[in-house]
Order: sequence, then structure tokens, then C-alpha cells
Amino acid sequence: MSMTGALAEPGPRRARGPFWLASLTLLLMAAPFAGLVAVTHWSAFHFARGDAMAIGVSLGYSLLALVIIVLLGTPLAWWLARHRFRGQWLVEAILLLALLTPPLAMGLLLSALYGPYGPIGRWFEAANLSLTNSAAAFVLAQCYSALPYYVLAARAAFEGVPRELEHLALTLGRSPWQAFREVSLPLARFGLAAGVALAWVRALGEFGVVLIIAYFPQGIPVKLWVNLQDIGLHAVYPLLWAFFVVAMPLPLVLGIVARRREAA
Amino acid sequence: MELDYRLEHPLALSARGEIHGFTVLLGRSGSGKSSLLRAIAGLLPAHGTPFDGLPPQRRAVGYLPQGYALFPHLNAWQNVAFALDGSQRHRAALEWLARFNLAELATHYPDQLSGGQQQRVALARAMARRPELLLLDEPTSALDASTRDEVMAELVAQVHDLGVPALAVSHDPHLAALADHLLVLHDGRIVQQGPPDSVQAQPANAAVARLLGRRNLFHARVEAHGDGRGHTRLHWPEAGLHFSLPRHDLAVHSWVDGTLPPHRVTLTDHGGEGAVRARVARRMALDGQWQLALHCGKTLLWAYLPGTSPAPPIDAHVYVKWSASDIFLWPPAHADAAMQRENDE
Repeated sequence: MSMTGALAEPGPRRARGPFWLASLTLLLMAAPFAGLVAVTHWSAFHFARGDAMAIGVSLGYSLLALVIIVLLGTPLAWWLARHRFRGQWLVEAILLLALLTPPLAMGLLLSALYGPYGPIGRWFEAANLSLTNSAAAFVLAQCYSALPYYVLAARAAFEGVPRELEHLALTLGRSPWQAFREVSLPLARFGLAAGVALAWVRALGEFGVVLIIAYFPQGIPVKLWVNLQDIGLHAVYPLLWAFFVVAMPLPLVLGIVARRREAA
Repeated sequence: MELDYRLEHPLALSARGEIHGFTVLLGRSGSGKSSLLRAIAGLLPAHGTPFDGLPPQRRAVGYLPQGYALFPHLNAWQNVAFALDGSQRHRAALEWLARFNLAELATHYPDQLSGGQQQRVALARAMARRPELLLLDEPTSALDASTRDEVMAELVAQVHDLGVPALAVSHDPHLAALADHLLVLHDGRIVQQGPPDSVQAQPANAAVARLLGRRNLFHARVEAHGDGRGHTRLHWPEAGLHFSLPRHDLAVHSWVDGTLPPHRVTLTDHGGEGAVRARVARRMALDGQWQLALHCGKTLLWAYLPGTSPAPPIDAHVYVKWSASDIFLWPPAHADAAMQRENDE
């Protein structure tokens, strides 16, 4: 089998069963996209009004959300990876809650908190910064939906860095911050990259939370819904193709680079 | 350099002694040796001299943990340069590598280096820090048995060349033999220190002797005085043996620690007075002699025989004997409860 043979390490003869099972699973996963190729009207491929704007909104704000997620999530992930304390279950529960809450419900909770009459939203409104139907609200929604995924992946990445190496960096005269920057971060980089990829996919594809607190500005997921409602199914497919084109490169490249480096 | 450290966690330990040249601290696995090194490096909470109260980054130590902990994402020169600052760090790192005969391996990553090479890179890195004290945790643990003695002798020579005192903790009596100064840790404290030859010649107690790799250590009970010849009768319960020694200073019913050097144990063809029956459990041909482990009661009795004579096969029943004058007893004051505790474990 040339596909599996080229990168295969020498070893015992492989069983056929897993190969066929893996092929079946891949086939099931690929089927909807094969269907998309079939149902797209390639001869009449065109974007609806506002699609370009939606692509810009999704890309720009998701990148901003990603930066915020990494800045907020990395210290938390490192702290969780390196400390054991009483009441840790509470922290675990908070992370799980953020993961478990259905997006629509999360949108409602955020709306209650950050909406114009919410305890925090009211305060922001007074400062003339609306946290509903605004760019800030859009980024807020994306952060809430993707942050827990990044934190979990980054925590696992930091847990994989031997504590001893961080300690050794200290004995070599480096400060804790330098040890983190020069040892922990580079050694956790592949795991962190996976976390970034996961957060990117999650933020870009977020629909439920965004729908409630940031219907405007419209990113791709909400615009897909609007196109379906206002125009019809044929207006969904071109934007969906565009979504794949803008969303795919970052996680694809991060994943390939990480796997290659780990194999090296 | 004076060492005086006290630890409470993860175990209570108090270590006080001298460090000069290549000093080895000998202790059992789990006795807190590694914790002591980590405490001196500032990685565990503890009090003592040197470096008391300083954060780890301000302690001038070169710390080599077990396995050396080279940074896997950095090559050899980058590992060494990690301890350096300034624009000349690349050149300085290469100079350190050259000093340890590693110049041609400067761009190799740790997983491309042998155990001995990794140790030298780690030592170069530790030295680049300009330490006042080198700390080595079980430096022989990651080395092949075939090259261990050679690599360690080279390490000791390098430490002498560098002129920095080193404290190596180990459970390996081979390493202890290479030391300039030996500290023996037992029961959370230093129980003996001195040049290795004098410690070897006169271990302070049975626990020290055991750490030095001695065999045939025993814990015996004084049963009675006098059989008309000024002898004292003792019982070695583990071996199921009763024997007499020409001593009269031992209190009846007290316990004493002693040793019977294996090379003093001889095989006889038949029983007779003083002969003990035993069964061969293991036999090893080592250094031109036979080392026989003999089942004797519930313990193993070791006998070293000349390699020129044939050794009995495994499971063979043999008679062994020795002279009463070959048995050495530690003075009862020093035959502390340590040996009993070890036996209990």
C-alpha cells in the first residue's frame, strides 16, 4: 500500500483490519464534503451581497480573539499544569462548565452579564462601549467559546515539559520568566500549536454564542444562516467554500509542522 | 567548603560535613541524597550553608541531575550557552566544549550523543555558569557498566582540573572508591566521613559497611559468657548459627553487629567441628575468583574462592568454615539500632 508504506517504519507485518476500519471512518467523515462538491453550482458560482464583509469580519476578529485567548489562556494553562492545590476540583469544574454549556445558553448567559442591563455591560455602556452587537461583543463571544479548548490543550502541553528542565534553567542563573520563555514555551510549542489550531477552528466556526450577543457584525457562520433564510440553499455553498479556504490553512500547517518535527 | 543543611520535606535530613575535591556522599536509595542536592541548589525549601536563603538563580552551583537534563530543543553549544550571557556566548560555549573534547559535537542534539558525551556537555554547561560548587546526582546511573569506571575516572580528573569542589551523591561503592573525601548518609544524618580508604578500612557501623558493598554482615545476640576458655557464645539467628568468640566484654542478652569477610570463608570436604552445612544458591566468576552465595538458614552467606579451583555447582550441599578470629564485631556502642531496622525491612 503506497500511501501507508512510504512513511512506515520497519516493523512487524501490519494487520489489515485497522486499515479497513480507518478507511471506513475517513469515508464517513469525507462524505458530506464530497456531497458539497456535487451540489455546488460550479457554473453559477457567485457570492451573495455582504459575503466578502462576513469573510473579513470572521478573519479579522477571529485573529484578534486568538491573540486574546493565547495571552489569557497561556498563563492559566501553565499555572494549572504546575500547581496542585486544595479546591482544584473547582477549577476543573469551571473549565468543564465552559466546555459543556450549549453555545446558545452561553450566549444567553453572556448577554445577561455583558448586555446593556447586565452588571458588567451596564458599566461598559457608561463608558460608551457596547458589549452587544458590536465588534467587541463578537470577539467576546469567540473568546468565551474557544478559550477553554485552548487552556485544556495548553495545559496538557505544559504538563509534558519535564519540571526538572525548568528547575535546571533556574540553577543556570535564569529567572523564572526566562526559564518559562526559553525552556517551557519552546518545549511545549507543538502542543501549544495544537491548542491554537483548536481555538482558531472553534472561534471561527462559533455560531450559537455569536448569534445571541453579536448578530452584528456578521461573521461567516451567522451570514451562512442569513443567506439560507433570505436567499436559499444555493447561496450557502459559495460562502461555505470560502470559509474552508480561510479557516483551513492555519490548523493544517500547524498540524503538519508539529507532526513532522515530532517525527524528526 | 563546609556543608551544613537541614531539610524537613520531603523527608527529615540533616547533613553536616566537609566538601573538598571530589566528594562523594554515599547513601541508600530513598535516603534523601537527591533531595539534599536539590536543597543545596535552592530547588527545595531548606536551611543551611552554603547559599542559605538565596533563590536558585542566584546560587553559584553547577547542578547535574540524574540523566543530565540537557535541553532537548537545543544542540550541544546552545545547551552550554544557556548558562552564558553577552555577545560572546557562542564563542565561549565552543571553548567550554573544546575543553571537554566535544568541539566536533557542538551542533549535535542531546539525543545524538552517548551517555558519556551527554554527561560532558552537562558538565561543560554547569561549568560555564562559573559555579563555586558542582552538584552531581547519581553520576554513574546513566552509564553503561562497561564504560562506567572509565567515564567516572575521567570525570573526577576533570573536576580536579577545573579546581571546583564537587559533591556527588550516589549509592554506588565504586564511585565512593574514586572520591577524595567520603560522606556516608544513614538514617537522615552523616554517620561517617573521611578519606575513602580510611572509611573502607574502618566502617563506623554495619550500615556503613553495607553501603560500602560489604557482604556477610550480621546482627547477633550475646547468649552466654564463658565455656571455660574465656569465650562468649553468640547466636546469629538469620543464619541459624551459634558460635563462640574469644571475647569477654559483651553484655549477655545484648545485640551486636558484625561481619565475616567472604574471602575468609573456606569450603571443606566434610563436616566436623566448626563446619557449617550450606547450599549453593548462586555462583559468579568475577575478577579471577569465584563468588559463591550460600543458603545458610534464612540468609545468604558469601564465600570468595580462588578462581583456579573448581567451584561446586548450584544447589550442591557444601560445608564451610572460618576461624573465630576472622569475625569482626563493632563495639556495642556503635552497633546501633540501624542494622536491626535494616534487617526488619
